[in-house]
Amino acid sequence: MGPEAQIRSIKPEATSNLYTVILAVALGVVLATAAFVAVKCYFDYNTLFTIP
Amino acid sequence: MSNLTKILIVLLTISAIFLCGIVVTYIANANNYKEKYTKLSSDRAALEQEKESLNNQLKEKIQQKDDLEKSLSNQVASLKTKADDLQTKITGVEREKAELLERVNSWASITKDFQATTDKQTQLLSTAQEDVKQLKAEQIKLSKELDQTSAAVVEKSALIDAAEAEKRRLIEEKSDLQNRLDKVAQAGGKVGVAGAPVTQGKGKAMPAQATTETINLKAQISEVDAKLATISIGSADGVKEGMRFHVTRGDEFICDVLIVNVDTDKAVGILELVQQSPKVGDNASTNL
Repeated sequence: MGPEAQIRSIKPEATSNLYTVILAVALGVVLATAAFVAVKCYFDYNTLFTIP
Repeated sequence: MSNLTKILIVLLTISAIFLCGIVVTYIANANNYKEKYTKLSSDRAALEQEKESLNNQLKEKIQQKDDLEKSLSNQVASLKTKADDLQTKITGVEREKAELLERVNSWASITKDFQATTDKQTQLLSTAQEDVKQLKAEQIKLSKELDQTSAAVVEKSALIDAAEAEKRRLIEEKSDLQNRLDKVAQAGGKVGVAGAPVTQGKGKAMPAQATTETINLKAQISEVDAKLATISIGSADGVKEGMRFHVTRGDEFICDVLIVNVDTDKAVGILELVQQSPKVGDNASTNL
């Protein structure tokens, strides 16, 4: 096994869990916003993308 | 992990949270256009129905207006005809009014003249009443004189009866003496002759012969009124109340004027037997 294969087989590991949590929060916020927009569109217009 | 990566992570997270907040706020406050569309569609349909009903009402109103206009036109035509008739009647009534006013004026003048005549008649009546009073006083006086005269006549009649009785007695004595004289004369061969009366008898009283004098006054008409006329001579020329003047124009008889009021240089009289209306300058005389 060469050195490159050794590099590829190494599993990435977060250097800090704090920034991971921050990225998770940001992702959760974006997902929640998308869900809210979808629910609002569905209840108001009975569809998500088409224009009635 | 480098510091730049950490800063980018933090900035990404903050910007994501910020943008998501903006999106949520916008979506939460966004208008429901479908609901608005539905509402506006229903309002439009209702307004369409209302418009149609209003159009129907408008048509009915227009029909009613046309009918009313026709009836009003007929009424206007009939009223114009009536107005023309009334105008004609008003014209006739105004003409009658003018004629009646003329009659009223003529009657007013006639009434005025009649009033003046009545006043003069009243004056004449008062004068005549005074004359009647004087005549009654004279009648009473004459009645008294008549009574005295009647008493004297009765007394004279008694004297006449006595004188006639004396006369009859004297006639009888005369006839007796005549018989005696005849007898004495016959004895001497003579006849007694009745001697003439010593005292001459008086003749019968004869009524005095009535004499008349012709007045023969001549004048001219100086003023003429409706029922009265004034002549140009008065009491200075011998005109008296009650005289009658005959008014002539040439050979034509006009009327008589009975004098009711006399002034010194003129006299006023009532028109009688009017054949024509007298004029100023016509001749008036007491004898035709």
